[in-house]
Amino acid sequence: MTVTEDAPVSELVAPAPSTPASSPSGLVAVLSSGDHKLVGRLWIVAALAQLLLVLGASLYVAAMRLDLAGLTKLTDSPSDWFSQIVTYRAIGGTFLVLLPITIGLATVIVPLQVGASTIAFPRAAAAAVWGYLVGSGLVIGAYSIDGGPFGTSLDGVRLFVAGLGLVVVSELLAWICIMTTVVTLRAPGMTLARTPLFSWSVLIAGAVWLLTLPVLVAMLVITYVFVRYLGEDSASIYARISWVFGPPAVYAFALPVLGFIATVVPVLSATRHHLHRFARTAIAAVGALVIGGWALPSFVGASTPWLYQLPWVAVSFLILIPVLALVGLWAVTLRNGQVTLASPLLFAASALLMLLVGLLAGAVQAIEPIKTLVDGPATSLYGTSWTTAVASYVLLSLAIALLGGITFWAPKLIGRGLREGAARGVAALLLVGTVLWSFPDLVSGLLGQGGDIPGPVAENVTAIEGLNAVSLAGGLFLALGFLGFLGLVVQAIRGHEGVGDDPWSGHTLEWATSSPPPAGNFPSLPEITSEAPLYDARHQEASAQ
Amino acid sequence: MSTAPVAQNPLINAPSAPPRRPRVLFVGAAFGAAASVLLVAAELAVYLQVRGQLASAGDATFPEGVVLPLTPGSMGMVTLAMSAVTISWAVYSLRNDDRPNAYVALGLTLLLGVAFINSTVYLYQQLAMGVTASTAGTLLYIVTATHLLMVVVGMLFIAVMGFQALGGQLTGRDAEGMSAAALYWFAIIAVYVVIWYGIYITK
Repeated sequence: MTVTEDAPVSELVAPAPSTPASSPSGLVAVLSSGDHKLVGRLWIVAALAQLLLVLGASLYVAAMRLDLAGLTKLTDSPSDWFSQIVTYRAIGGTFLVLLPITIGLATVIVPLQVGASTIAFPRAAAAAVWGYLVGSGLVIGAYSIDGGPFGTSLDGVRLFVAGLGLVVVSELLAWICIMTTVVTLRAPGMTLARTPLFSWSVLIAGAVWLLTLPVLVAMLVITYVFVRYLGEDSASIYARISWVFGPPAVYAFALPVLGFIATVVPVLSATRHHLHRFARTAIAAVGALVIGGWALPSFVGASTPWLYQLPWVAVSFLILIPVLALVGLWAVTLRNGQVTLASPLLFAASALLMLLVGLLAGAVQAIEPIKTLVDGPATSLYGTSWTTAVASYVLLSLAIALLGGITFWAPKLIGRGLREGAARGVAALLLVGTVLWSFPDLVSGLLGQGGDIPGPVAENVTAIEGLNAVSLAGGLFLALGFLGFLGLVVQAIRGHEGVGDDPWSGHTLEWATSSPPPAGNFPSLPEITSEAPLYDARHQEASAQ
Repeated sequence: MSTAPVAQNPLINAPSAPPRRPRVLFVGAAFGAAASVLLVAAELAVYLQVRGQLASAGDATFPEGVVLPLTPGSMGMVTLAMSAVTISWAVYSLRNDDRPNAYVALGLTLLLGVAFINSTVYLYQQLAMGVTASTAGTLLYIVTATHLLMVVVGMLFIAVMGFQALGGQLTGRDAEGMSAAALYWFAIIAVYVVIWYGIYITK
């Protein structure tokens, strides 16, 4: 038997190796990329651009509330565009700005934190961002031709529903990619219990949105068909979807806030997170309480017995328990370590403070006897500007946390750091702005001012208008803060100085790679034996020396 | 003194098993299935709410003369129940590298999917109700059409996995793609059980 030891050599002349296809560059590279870092940056840049429009709408709404009598005449007129702008502020602020920035940040950071070389389903993740861009363009286009909720153009109304549907489906797809990454692509040694708390909070938030956004899509499908075939009024759109912006459903937006704070506090106090596992459970408990809109009072109606509102009351109070427990853990963590008062910690503290006020205000409005304090035609605090203020506090706490997240992870996002002093100034501006913007609405809610679209107010008109002026001033502070932050980001992008791979002495894996991370993310990974592998490695080196 | 030959364990020098692949597609399909189920569930909840309001006001669910037939709906249920067997057969066969059986089972599953679509379209014909005839009628079309969309997506998923199996990408050791498609198909069947009971049986 003949044994061939070597591979037979072909007598045919091998063709010359073809020139490797040049990798795409420019717009083609952006359009065809499935790199999670580029996709995440696209989400963030597009959403920050839309932030300017939402800011304009918010300031306009605040300015219009300075003259309540004139506003009532306007909202009663057939050509009412104030209501449309109010709905744009809510829908744009949540689904076109805040949720996309959350998704963008998670798309960049989560694969790095869990030690993955890519995001799960990279093509689907890229399709999601392009779907969002097209959908948000359709939403803005629909508003510009008098569509959207309360719009009079039937084509515009249908375009709006289709556009928002595309946005929501795209966001759902993005959440599925991010969640699948956390569940399946964690590095060897990283059990679910060792998952960094930001990634964990994103996983919980994703689960909540996975159970909430399909319900929103269903409402949009029904609305589209009813408007298209049954001639339903365009006002029905907002009635069907506004539950997402009301407490307790709106608390779902706050989950990444908790994850961001839980990441920043131990890093900037140079110690481990106190009772990491308990923190994980507390974040999961918040998620379990805010799934969907099942506890909303608007679902059971005003005429139903008080017992049916029990879930809403229970959720409004129960949600405080895990959040306060987390506050306790963070206080102990700060006490155990050496605190560096860097800008991310200021963003984290501001976001936490605003979230706590929002949650407390949400619990207060669930107390039944409090309704007797309300002046004017309102029969309960729910539905007054108090409810709007609760949502504002929660959503603005998310905005502050997201900007803090961009500041903290700027080296991984853009390869450079933001100017520390200016970033602290932005955090302070946003804190002052949020307080001035939202607190007057709590008081004017007690005085009987209506919620999103204030109806006629019979009493306390001068006092309410004065409070609305303070709120407008808060809006200007917020605008200044957001614009200042955009300026900081642009300045950092145009700058030339890098900040190193790990400027904060981080604990988690995203700091184990270069800034910005290369393709494939990690040349090598450290051993993972806890939730803070880089902290472990640093201390092992120190003890060895 | 002679020593007895030591029996060599053939596994000692064997290469270690490759690390288990992360079940990315299976987990992603589970999330997708959950989202699809909630989409139909929310629409069904609105339908049942409207039907309940009509009943408590003493009104009929559908316009006069329109009767919701039970037979096509039940035929659809039987069809999907049979497809649960065939998709399980396909996954089992692929896992055991029994490719001829897997192809037959996949073909039958797709055929039953087409049969289900046919039975739903037949139901629409028998119903003979315009989309704008009534609010409940419109919602009936929304719920069933969304489920039909799920069926079409499921069939495409199975077809793609079938082609991957034909191409040799899904082997006995790694038939995750087909398990993912089967999971989505089971979600479709579970949703239809609720639709069948909530819409066709209880009427």
